[in-house]
Amino acid sequence: MFFGLFRKKKKTEGSRKEAKDRLESITGGRRYSVPVREVIPQELLQSSGKDMIYQIKAYVADKYKVKEENVKVQLEEHNGYVVIITNVVFH
Amino acid sequence: MAKVFVVTSGKGGVGKTTVTANIGCALANKGAKVCLIDADIGLKNLDIALGLENRVVHTILDVANGKVTASEALVRHKQIKGLYLLAASQIATKEMLSPEDMKKIVAEIYPKFDYIIVDSPAGIERGFRNAIAAAERALVVTTPELPAITDADRVIGLLENSGMLESNIRLLINRFKIQMVKRGDMLTREDIQGNLAIDLIGIIPDSDEVIVATNKGVPVVLNGNGEGIGRVFNNIAQRIKGEAIPVENDIQEQGSRGFLEFLKRLFRRN
Repeated sequence: MFFGLFRKKKKTEGSRKEAKDRLESITGGRRYSVPVREVIPQELLQSSGKDMIYQIKAYVADKYKVKEENVKVQLEEHNGYVVIITNVVFH
Repeated sequence: MAKVFVVTSGKGGVGKTTVTANIGCALANKGAKVCLIDADIGLKNLDIALGLENRVVHTILDVANGKVTASEALVRHKQIKGLYLLAASQIATKEMLSPEDMKKIVAEIYPKFDYIIVDSPAGIERGFRNAIAAAERALVVTTPELPAITDADRVIGLLENSGMLESNIRLLINRFKIQMVKRGDMLTREDIQGNLAIDLIGIIPDSDEVIVATNKGVPVVLNGNGEGIGRVFNNIAQRIKGEAIPVENDIQEQGSRGFLEFLKRLFRRN
């Protein structure tokens, strides 16, 4: 026991890295907001829905590095507002 | 005209009330006129943290119900002339106050103070909505643990949704353990700030001083000799006033103090 006091402690990897990875997976992207004009230029906002869908697909595919066919975009109307629903398949 | 802050967190037990009491004391000690409002109806604690529990006659609900005016319900602090408390009621629920009531109460005292600081309850329900109703700025308190940080993230989103500017929301990391960070067992300031993406206003190291001060009913700012944790709260108060004091100062002091404390303990007799 006495000699144990002077034994060099094995260096173990701290739990910080694990906490950091978990935190990033929980909070990453939760509050990621993008101004709509950054995704859809003003002139497209007033044009057809098809052009808008194409623009959103291109933006999302570029942003998340996925193929455009993995991005599904739907436009729905609710209470006078156009709601854009986007699903991305990552794998 | 007052600057109105809410101290909030989402998660309970991270130190909102201690932070509110100490920042209020620190600001008032520097000559500002400060009103602290306890919005944690039913689970009030701010009066206890300030040592004013025996002086409370009227509560925020008495004001909301029109029994007294807000000015009549204020309790002045024993030691600091410029510090006032509007206490919460113990025997009531958060639903008995509305966000509109809070706005009216704050509007009444707004011209009389330099700072109004609202201590929010934990959670994101009615009590939280009451607390943020009149606030233009927020101090989001978190500890360096995942549940507290993820709750803080949610609260920041809700504050932004309520119309608060991101530049008016500041992060406060409480119970920071420098030795654990050095060992690689605790998230660093950069890890936390990087994820929450708001400006940091202070880092409060973990300290026994806070418990001792709470036992005495004297906020740690008034309890010590202006050193240690008290100094950190003073730094935060100065940053609130707009002074540029590096956040690193909060933990640098504690790092060197840790070694001094170690030496003191080593040679202490009992």
